[in-house]
Amino acid sequence: MLRKILLPSIFVVLAYGFWISPDFKGIAAGVSIFLFGMLTLEEGFKVFSGGILEKVLEKSTNTLYKSIGFGFITTAIMQSSGLVSVLAVSFIGAGLIGLAQGIGIIFGANIGTTTGAWLMAGFGLKIKISAYAMPLLVFGVLLIFQKAKSLKGIGYILTGIGFLFLGIHYMKEGFESLTTTIDLATYAVDGIKGLFIFVGIGIVATILMQSSHATIVLVLTALSVGQITYENAIALTIGANIGTTVTAVIASLGSNIDGKRLSSAHFIFNMVTAAVAIALISPIIDSVNFISEFIGIANDNYTLKLAVFDSLFKVMGVVMFIPFVDKLVQFLENRLKGKDKQEVESYESAQYLNDSVLEIPATAMAAIVRETKHLYVNAFEIIAHGLNIKRTNILSAMELEDVIKDSYSKNIVDIDEFYEHRIKGIYGEIIDFATQAQSQMSPEDIEELYALKIASKDIVDAVKDTKHLQKNLLKYKNNSNKHIQDQYNGIRIGLAELLRSIDAISKMSEEDEIILLLSKIKVHMQRYDILANGTLDKLIRNDLITNEMATSLMNDSSYAYEISKHFIAMAEVIFIDDSGDIKNLDGDMFISDEDVDSIIKKGE
Amino acid sequence: MGVKKFIELVTETLGLDEMKKSSKKKSIKNLLKKLKSKKDSIDKELKAKVGKKKKKELSEELDIILFQIKKGEAILKKLNS
Repeated sequence: MLRKILLPSIFVVLAYGFWISPDFKGIAAGVSIFLFGMLTLEEGFKVFSGGILEKVLEKSTNTLYKSIGFGFITTAIMQSSGLVSVLAVSFIGAGLIGLAQGIGIIFGANIGTTTGAWLMAGFGLKIKISAYAMPLLVFGVLLIFQKAKSLKGIGYILTGIGFLFLGIHYMKEGFESLTTTIDLATYAVDGIKGLFIFVGIGIVATILMQSSHATIVLVLTALSVGQITYENAIALTIGANIGTTVTAVIASLGSNIDGKRLSSAHFIFNMVTAAVAIALISPIIDSVNFISEFIGIANDNYTLKLAVFDSLFKVMGVVMFIPFVDKLVQFLENRLKGKDKQEVESYESAQYLNDSVLEIPATAMAAIVRETKHLYVNAFEIIAHGLNIKRTNILSAMELEDVIKDSYSKNIVDIDEFYEHRIKGIYGEIIDFATQAQSQMSPEDIEELYALKIASKDIVDAVKDTKHLQKNLLKYKNNSNKHIQDQYNGIRIGLAELLRSIDAISKMSEEDEIILLLSKIKVHMQRYDILANGTLDKLIRNDLITNEMATSLMNDSSYAYEISKHFIAMAEVIFIDDSGDIKNLDGDMFISDEDVDSIIKKGE
Repeated sequence: MGVKKFIELVTETLGLDEMKKSSKKKSIKNLLKKLKSKKDSIDKELKAKVGKKKKKELSEELDIILFQIKKGEAILKKLNS
């Protein structure tokens, strides 16, 4: 309802403003161009926010201070705390970082936004910025039309900067012309009353423009031409800092639990900081004067002094909150509980797939990898129990011959039930999520995504094959015929070895070890080819097993072969380090079936 | 000049294809180094007194490693040609 009234009201107010003042039209156009520039800039950085950011993130957010540094640097470069917040929510959603690190990024981003004020006060208002805007726009647009993803990204960044410059130019020009007709400074309000009024205006302006950065730039421009007083500019800056959290909270209403927790942390942080700043406004202004004098800023250079205030105010907030981050995390996790903690469902669902990670292709990809690993963990357990083997024994150093002797259960494990509860739903979610994520991805990413979808299918197929294998496996594992019993227990030993090896690969970092173990299980997989290796022929010729047993053994060996094939193929996709040498060689070092034959022949 | 041609020209001028090739070469060299050192350690283990089962296991690993080294060297040769 409010939205329905709000938008037309804004249109009417703006239209009236344009009608009575051409200067106001200039300022409003400047703000619009500036905001459009920010959107374009974000679009450009999104192109590069994948692989590079993820790699930097892994190394730079393992401590709170590093997270703050990451938030500061990325915001200073991208000049958008909004995009950094989206990234932080995506990273948490994909399980790449925890809430504490996410909060650290938000703290850093808050300080990072102050660089915008410094750039604007230091250069933007002193040089003819529009002169740089035109070539940037021309080069940028030319690059946007290129097919290559990176060129397109650079194009968006250049165009974004061009629009930011152009927006600032129009705002500046609008305020300069306005000075000749009207003096807004006459509306200045002093004292505590003025402080609250202008904090309120700052909040409203930021909510309307959806950007505190734009509000501060507008305030600086107005301040530079004397249209507002320094004291009121300070109040507007505090208001902008509150307003930005309101937009973040509204945006998080539709997001997942991670987004809600992070935006709540952002809200609490900014509100408390603003409250403290209002309460301690006099000593803070004194400190700003002292710092400004110390670094050589002239007493009447209010724009730079406002940049000092902006920095001091935000750094003060971060310093104030650092000791309480753990408590804040605890508070938010207790207050805002996710589905996973609220309801224990008998049908297990995806852990890492949520809308917040869809925004960035790299985080969407990371989430799918993690979810596929989750699916693998479930499948591992189902296969082990399907073979009537204890999972813990497989993961121990116990001899495989002993592993198969220690049965998991006296009853047959219902694989269908396991499949319905712990595989089917997650697999469906992975496929659905991958389809959604695909629309944001480059052809190379889509290729990688396809490999991940196949890996998930491999896991599902391995579980289905175990179900087929289970019936005879349990029937013959204790059969009175020693020969068939040996064959089926051989299959169990083989699959237990496969599971143990895959688990080892999932924990390995040495690439030579990974290659060796993958090749080894590929070679061992050939043991199931009982037709080619003469096992079946020998058993039938010597009348050691019945025809029925022979048929079952042939079929079940084939299932065991398929399980191995699916699990090895899956491991080659999900357990190979993205930045490692094996990945860089596009699978060239993996051995093929012909290679396996050569190795076996050589060994004979 | 079409966009495709322009990009091809930029790729060629900046030597981006060569960069990809040299990164692959570096990776294969890294892996070969690791595999050779693994081979040496298996050789050493084989020379020491080990049980029959362990010896069979090590011999199999050695066969695989030797095959992988041969495969890696063939890839490197192809990249160098």
